[in-house]
Amino acid sequence: MELSRREFVKLVTGSGIVLTFSPLAIGAVPGFADRETLPGRAQWNPAVGGRGRIDGVAKVTGAKLYASDFRATDMPGWPATTAHAILVRANDATHIFTGLDLARLRGTMAPTVVVTAADLVRAGTRVPDFFKGDLFCPAGRTPLYLGQPVALLLFETFAAFNAARLAIRSGKFVQFGQATPAVAQTPYGSNRFVRVAGPAATGPDVYSPLQAGWVGPLRFVKGNTPVWAPGSPSGPASAQASYYGDQIRAELATANPDVLMLDRTFETQSIDPMFLEPESGLAWYDATTKKLDLVVGVQSPAEAADSVAHLLGKARAAFKPTHINTHFAYVGGGFGGRDHTSFPLYMALAAIFLPGRPVRLAHDRYQQFQGGIKRHAFKMHTRIGVDKGTGKIRAFAADHVLDGGGLANFSPSVADVGALGAIGIYAIPTVDVTTVAAHSRGVTAGSMRGYGTLQTMTALEVLIDEAALALRLDPIEFRRRNALPTDGRTLAGNTYVGVVRTPEILDKLDRHALWQQRAAAKTQAAAGFVVGTGVACVTKDFGSGADCSLATIELAPDGRIAINSDAVEMGTAIGTALANRAAAIMGGMADEVQMARVDVFGPLELMTSGDPYSGNQAAQDAAARNPRWVPQISSPSSSSVGAHVSTHGAAEAAKLLFRFGLWPAALDLWGVQAGDPLAGQWASARWNDGTLAVPGKAPLPLSALAARAHQRKLVTGVMVHGFSRWAWAAATFTVAGQSFTTDIDALAVRFGDGNFTRIDRRNVKFPPTVYNRFGTSYSTICGTLVRVAIERATGALRIVKAYSVVECGNTLVPEVVRGQMQGGFAMGMGQALLEYLPPFEDGPGNGTWNLGQYVVARASDLPIGDLECEILPPVTPADPPKGMAEVVSIPVIAALVNAIADATGHRFAALPVTPAMLQGVLK
Amino acid sequence: MNVQRQVARFTGIVVMLAVLVAGVTEARAADPPVTLAAPESFAAIADPAARSAAIFTELGRVLTNPRCVNCHPVGDRPLQGEVANRRLHQPPVARGADGFGTVSMRCASCHQGANFDAGAMPGHAHWHLAPLEMAWQDKSVAQICAQIKDPARNGGRTLAQIHEHIATDTLVGWAWAPGFGRAPAPGTQAQAGALVDAWIKTGAACP
Amino acid sequence: MTTLRITINGQAHGPVEVTDDLSMNDYLREFLGMTGTKFGCGAGQCLACAVIIDAPDGTSITSPTCIVPAVAFNGKSIRTIEGHAKNGELSPLQKAFIDHFSFQCGYCTAGFLNEGQVLLERLAKTPVARADLPQTILESLNGHLCRCTGYVKYHEAVRDVILADPKRYLV
Repeated sequence: MELSRREFVKLVTGSGIVLTFSPLAIGAVPGFADRETLPGRAQWNPAVGGRGRIDGVAKVTGAKLYASDFRATDMPGWPATTAHAILVRANDATHIFTGLDLARLRGTMAPTVVVTAADLVRAGTRVPDFFKGDLFCPAGRTPLYLGQPVALLLFETFAAFNAARLAIRSGKFVQFGQATPAVAQTPYGSNRFVRVAGPAATGPDVYSPLQAGWVGPLRFVKGNTPVWAPGSPSGPASAQASYYGDQIRAELATANPDVLMLDRTFETQSIDPMFLEPESGLAWYDATTKKLDLVVGVQSPAEAADSVAHLLGKARAAFKPTHINTHFAYVGGGFGGRDHTSFPLYMALAAIFLPGRPVRLAHDRYQQFQGGIKRHAFKMHTRIGVDKGTGKIRAFAADHVLDGGGLANFSPSVADVGALGAIGIYAIPTVDVTTVAAHSRGVTAGSMRGYGTLQTMTALEVLIDEAALALRLDPIEFRRRNALPTDGRTLAGNTYVGVVRTPEILDKLDRHALWQQRAAAKTQAAAGFVVGTGVACVTKDFGSGADCSLATIELAPDGRIAINSDAVEMGTAIGTALANRAAAIMGGMADEVQMARVDVFGPLELMTSGDPYSGNQAAQDAAARNPRWVPQISSPSSSSVGAHVSTHGAAEAAKLLFRFGLWPAALDLWGVQAGDPLAGQWASARWNDGTLAVPGKAPLPLSALAARAHQRKLVTGVMVHGFSRWAWAAATFTVAGQSFTTDIDALAVRFGDGNFTRIDRRNVKFPPTVYNRFGTSYSTICGTLVRVAIERATGALRIVKAYSVVECGNTLVPEVVRGQMQGGFAMGMGQALLEYLPPFEDGPGNGTWNLGQYVVARASDLPIGDLECEILPPVTPADPPKGMAEVVSIPVIAALVNAIADATGHRFAALPVTPAMLQGVLK
Repeated sequence: MNVQRQVARFTGIVVMLAVLVAGVTEARAADPPVTLAAPESFAAIADPAARSAAIFTELGRVLTNPRCVNCHPVGDRPLQGEVANRRLHQPPVARGADGFGTVSMRCASCHQGANFDAGAMPGHAHWHLAPLEMAWQDKSVAQICAQIKDPARNGGRTLAQIHEHIATDTLVGWAWAPGFGRAPAPGTQAQAGALVDAWIKTGAACP
Repeated sequence: MTTLRITINGQAHGPVEVTDDLSMNDYLREFLGMTGTKFGCGAGQCLACAVIIDAPDGTSITSPTCIVPAVAFNGKSIRTIEGHAKNGELSPLQKAFIDHFSFQCGYCTAGFLNEGQVLLERLAKTPVARADLPQTILESLNGHLCRCTGYVKYHEAVRDVILADPKRYLV
């Protein structure tokens, strides 16, 4: 197959399917310009001049951006009409699925094709490991979970689709027979994290997951109860973990008058990410060319394409494409819920089973509740021991069980991240946390903002508050005494990268008027109301432990800057962040920024093998000898990677473009000779109002530098790949005769108006595979204060005032950070007080849920004019930016529960806390 | 900061119902119809007052039905859903000066002249909230009976006008044809009208 | 089937035959390709799908489109997000939304833009006191759901457009 140079190609092992990727060109939609409904198109990029958002005009003018906006007629070269698909899901998981009542769909509303489990067998499809489980429940079996798909109905006209969806929505279209028990499965994952610190604060640990490796159970009994190895101080890691863990638990179980011991449970509920754009997409399979085109809106573009390729990789000839081209659109909210979703698989099936016809598959909101990824409900049992004399936490033990729902998805990982976050911002010398990610017949849970730590740190921060009260210590003072110092070790046993700024955050909270005046506010409560103030402070990792950053920066002769990135825009303004990070180095705002461009990195000729999370060191060392090999090529836009990871590539590319393009151009314009000491001082140059300023030299505008760089055929384009496993991979390269080592593992450069050519790396240093034992090494800290007023008679709660403070390194777009803090507050408030999904038959899997039952925060629920957000300045100007989109919603929850405890005297141990519950304790 | 004033301003908006956690599914249109007893079936009750009260109690099954109560709320915001999962109306709307919504959110913006079953949307040309004094939410049938007879709390209606309202008003009649996804009120509007008529003729006694 | 004639952003559409079970949202998105008007919940609860209806008496109000049949719009004049900018020039509220970073994912923006615009036009006719402004904005926008932003920057953008021209919008 002949592919153009600009297409990024990856051959999928074994399947022979060629994968290519394209972003959606929002300027090139035919048929719309005639109607002049999209005035912003021609000038959709307002970043020129450093003002506004890259996607601002498109979003306020209704341009086609999201996957749900595209129909066949919008896609150049596609057939004109769009067919429509309905993904039918089971609303029962305790009876045998017998079939569909297709008699309802006679005549004009009859589907052209009905795809069921039997058809997948006939076609020879495979299920990607990540989505293991039947894609459709076969007739004669009990569905694996509520909301499991049972069939795809494909309609050639909108009229037929519209009539059919109304005809099947009531009653018993999906038919069930005999009652059965729910399908039982062993848990998706389980681990035990034990750490015993050594006698010296900064000395080696006695035992830690980092030293010994992560430990799982021998087996499970009674369904979900893990059986751990018998304890032994000298046996394998699993025996040592049991030995030390059991010691910690024994200590916590022994009465000691010097120790405050609290034994508590806490439960958090399942919630829906409720991104506003339901999952949707478009797919077209041309059987003559055997090309499958997909239009998707996901957080994980590369994964989506890989999964579809796996699905069809061994299919029978009639069902197997030779080429899959994936178009990526903006997403209407993600919050994790669009990372590794099975939705693209069903889109692909719809197209494959209706060849020649572009097919649209789109959830309505009921279907999104029924089938979309949920947040895990957690049940947590925690014991904590605090020295009464010093107010220092001595020991901590917790057992977590989380409901993963019907498919594994990210459940094992959410369990681990939640467990490793269970001690929050604290230094605790002895910790034992076990976790079990259980299967259930509920809707599948997976990645969602907070990713396990939201649940465990909420439980922790509520417990910490109770402990402080019991010790008669100010809650912030208690936190300060126990805060992990910069050189302190996490539960995994590693230290954080950079300064741990907990004390500064705590000081900010402590000195805030909301905290200082809390006693007065309480006594001044209006008649019929109780008032309380709560605090919480948490740390959240960012990054997933295998994160990639792909970027190109190209400079035109007139000084225009174009950036391409593989990151996905989901509302985080990542495009604007990229432009800002590069602008600080390049001296000018990008004129064009394109996101989700997985397609332009062909010149790097990257290849990969193995699993970046689980490979061993020898395999990595062997693979790394090939200069084109990287542990992973492209990774999802999730885990708060935007600021730190996704902009890393652009920053690295900008630095190299400056050093090898703009700087030598400046030297040339100044007439500086090669031997002059100034030639090597590119790092001392500063941008000043768009001109390059060096003392004693004429200021030079970017346009002049760009023109000279092109004229002298200097570097005018840089393409890089970066990889982070809790540290960046680094390698040595030689450009223009100069060798340098920097935090990238692949590089291509362009001289003048030439083509990109790959530069072979030398001395590559990938982060060692043992770093996979870290929980994280990147951390962002956020604290929140809230004051609530609760009406005694009704239990109605109002947030009177709130304050959040975050530290996130260098802030790329402060308005975006503030927006995330405000949005995180709203989502945290919803988790604490509003949102609730019952787990099973009454829950979202029954297909009847919408925003009437499922209440998310509205403006009237929030302190719109009384929410103060503060961002700490970076420690040094060189601090990298840090991810913060997850952490900002977490302390809100515990702060609210603590404020309620302050107001009512009752500490709730399950979420959400409703007015009826408040009314109950205020009677 | 004057906390009291702010609290007073917001309480009407932030009140949330316990039904959030009730988690009961929507009633299905396919559920079998629920009937009303005819006035004649109370003939065996000899005491006219007791008979009258019993007839009203039967009528009370209509009056306390969600199709009626949801728009006779105690506050400014209507309710939604069935008995088991009744909840505050989403999106948050308020009765406004005329009972037809606020200036920015009029009832008729969503509730058109008739039900739109494709959108599971109820409609009627005069969709609006009952005045606050006619609130039935959380009241017993006996309390509603006293209220419905009291001209100060029934819109100044005579008993005959009450009968006319229940027996013939087309917005009231919507309760028996609420469209897709909603269980209708028990019986028929004619049967409810007959009960009102019989209740009045037996002395309009309250339970 | 019913014959539909409608004016969208000043342009006449129709007559066109549509079925009575077709929602206005599907008419805009599936038949006209005007996907600036979004589909969020399909139940009239998030108002991402709201458009402006201009009444003959000069007043305007928003209406959701997902739960209203297309035929209910027969003879009406509506505005959608695609119609706010004139000759490529953004409206003051569109500019304010961009300047304030009011939206993140942007999927709710059409509804907020339409609702905010209707509020501005209403205040131009019936101004409110400065002190009542936050509550007026809250009551106007409260029907619209946003999952990303916490609403603050939408409210600030609307407020700042009003405060930039107090003689027009405030008593």
